[in-house]
Amino acid sequence: MLPLIMLLKEILGYNDTIYRTVVGLGYMIVYPGLLLVVVIAALMLWAERKIAALVQLRYGPLWVSRRIGGALQGFADLIRFSFQEVIIPRRSDVIPFLLSPGLAILFSMLPIAFIPISPSIHPPVYSDLALLVVIAIISLAPIFIVIMGWASDNKFAFVGSLREALLIVSYEIPLIISIISMAVIYGSLDFYEIVERQYMLPGMILNPFAFIASFIAVLRTTSRFPFEISEAETEVVAGPYTEYSGLMFGLSMGLAYIKLYVYTLILSLVFLGGWLPLQGGEGFLLGFLAPSLVVILKLSILSLVAVFLRAIYGRYRLDQAIRLGWIYVFGLSIVSLIWSLALVYGGWVRWG
Amino acid sequence: MVAGSIAIEEISKELIQSRDLGVTEEGERLIELQIGPTHPGSGHMRIRVWVDGDIIVRCDPDIGFVFRTIEKLSENRIYMKTIPLVERPSLLDTTPMTIGYVNAIEKLMGIEPPPRAKYLRTILAEITRIASHLYGIGILAIFLGHSTGFMWGFGDRELFVELANQLSGARITYAYVIPGGVRRDMPQSFPDNVEKALRYMERRLKDWYKIFLNNPVIEDRLREVGILRKNDAVKLGITGPNLRASGVDFDVRVADPYEAYDELEFMVPVAEEGDAYARTLVRFEEIKQSINIIRDALRKMPSGDIIHPQIARMFNPLMKKIYEETRRVKFPGIFASLKPPKGEATARVEAGRGEALFHIVSDGSPRPYRFRWTTPSYRNVILFKYLIPGHRLADLPAIYGSLDYFPPEADR
Repeated sequence: MLPLIMLLKEILGYNDTIYRTVVGLGYMIVYPGLLLVVVIAALMLWAERKIAALVQLRYGPLWVSRRIGGALQGFADLIRFSFQEVIIPRRSDVIPFLLSPGLAILFSMLPIAFIPISPSIHPPVYSDLALLVVIAIISLAPIFIVIMGWASDNKFAFVGSLREALLIVSYEIPLIISIISMAVIYGSLDFYEIVERQYMLPGMILNPFAFIASFIAVLRTTSRFPFEISEAETEVVAGPYTEYSGLMFGLSMGLAYIKLYVYTLILSLVFLGGWLPLQGGEGFLLGFLAPSLVVILKLSILSLVAVFLRAIYGRYRLDQAIRLGWIYVFGLSIVSLIWSLALVYGGWVRWG
Repeated sequence: MVAGSIAIEEISKELIQSRDLGVTEEGERLIELQIGPTHPGSGHMRIRVWVDGDIIVRCDPDIGFVFRTIEKLSENRIYMKTIPLVERPSLLDTTPMTIGYVNAIEKLMGIEPPPRAKYLRTILAEITRIASHLYGIGILAIFLGHSTGFMWGFGDRELFVELANQLSGARITYAYVIPGGVRRDMPQSFPDNVEKALRYMERRLKDWYKIFLNNPVIEDRLREVGILRKNDAVKLGITGPNLRASGVDFDVRVADPYEAYDELEFMVPVAEEGDAYARTLVRFEEIKQSINIIRDALRKMPSGDIIHPQIARMFNPLMKKIYEETRRVKFPGIFASLKPPKGEATARVEAGRGEALFHIVSDGSPRPYRFRWTTPSYRNVILFKYLIPGHRLADLPAIYGSLDYFPPEADR
């Protein structure tokens, strides 16, 4: 990709607009955008099933690509869903019904445009308020899940989307507060500065309360156990996704994993020090690929912890989850904010 | 309006008032959800639920989707052909059912099986009890979203299914018990294999306690949910582990011993709380007690015949040869035209889910004049109506799973 860009720069006489367009498209579509998201989501789906199988003393997926342990199972499922018939219920509200899964995925993936993944190549949209923008955009995605349930005209979907709405309110607020408390410590909303200022201590050690609170909130937001309440199969058939089939079902199933990717990307930059310990060097390999691989390794570890919980926990009841959210997680995020303020005003943290 | 229904209405009022619902069944606040019969969490039944927000105000179980007229079918069959029929409905808990049916026939005929056959029946009944409880716990686990419990339950059950396979030659429908004895003697390696399996299960139970019973999420989901008080349980006629979890110490194996249970040492686990957690706990404790029973029975196993001498007399030479060489009973002609004398007989057994009652009316012909059979699930299904109102929608699977209700068994 890079020689192509250099060639383009030669041809176009360093036309900055075209150069940035090409890089931005590559960033959003290839790496770390759409293509990588699909790969990571499919691999996470496979990893979740494989880890659960390990705990449950069985093999897990093994039919597709037996030699590598069935790792292509997620892609096989994706292909199968893509070619299945999309059934639209007669009484559903067709336009919202068809548009909401795509829009939910769009708003889940849009934050990638603001998130840097390496020190040398900037994201397509560079902003010094990137953290705030990212949280604002990704908070729009759950609205479309609620719309899905409403447009399906199905009682179970309706109950599921109501649960989703209640849980969004309970867990988005602690997530936002705990991430903002990190911004208070770093004194910046710019991802580059946030990562730079973790050269001595990563954020999860500077403020462990914020890390725990935001990780629990991410578990809830991405419907991982023990918070898989809006899609509880034995209570509400598939929650908001009950009436979806074929590609639509594939999209709504992948939605949680795409969100998991983006949220863990944010958490790995804010709490785990991003591409540190690599500082970024010259050229494509040292400046972009190696640091980005470090970030992807960190987010994969976080995601694996999140999907591992499926093997241990059941699911909470709705009222128990909301109580947990409003009392413990919310309290923890307030504590993390106070902790950050104490660190900053106590003079423990100074950025010269 | 009969007296019984008035009493039951009083019970329901009492049960609902005791929960302080604070909602009425008026206006348009209620949504009617039809959970089933193709809902992933309903089994072969339909549960109509009226919810006010998240609180269930009324629950109406609709049973009968798997009704297979077994009582009527048996009136057109000879006595022997009903034995495989009886073990179909409660597919996981087969041997106690056949024991009950065969005991009723034996009472009609006035014979009693030899002691070794009694012990073999007891061992197989306890093996199926463990398998049935593991199945029920696995279903409860998947209802709560705990997939590991589901997989472990079915995986550990496989051991006991395999043991039953070694003893009787089939995995779940054995038809092992015949009037006057059993079909096969146990193989030479059977006691060692049983001991291995029991040791493994005792090790596994510790893991089970760690990952399922002491799991904070599962405890939150099951404690204080679906509380069945002692007097309500007695009034509604609940049986089995659900009754014992409410503090009533009643077990047919102790109250009315059949087979070899009066010679074996075991405890009857009883819990006082009566909630879903206690019901699950009682099932785990029953698995432990069943392990003790099987060990004790293998220790005290007498030698001798496995078929009543009256029936063994009718063997032809080839059957005798096979019986003496391989200890397998080939059916003599008596079974094709088994004509118990006129009369009625009743037998009770303690199956995995509770007390099953068999009543046979014989008119002296080769077919029963009337066969009546009450299964434990049929008696426990009434709890849906009285336990679920006042709880949240998410508690419905928890209560359903903790009752270990099996629709085909109730419908027969």
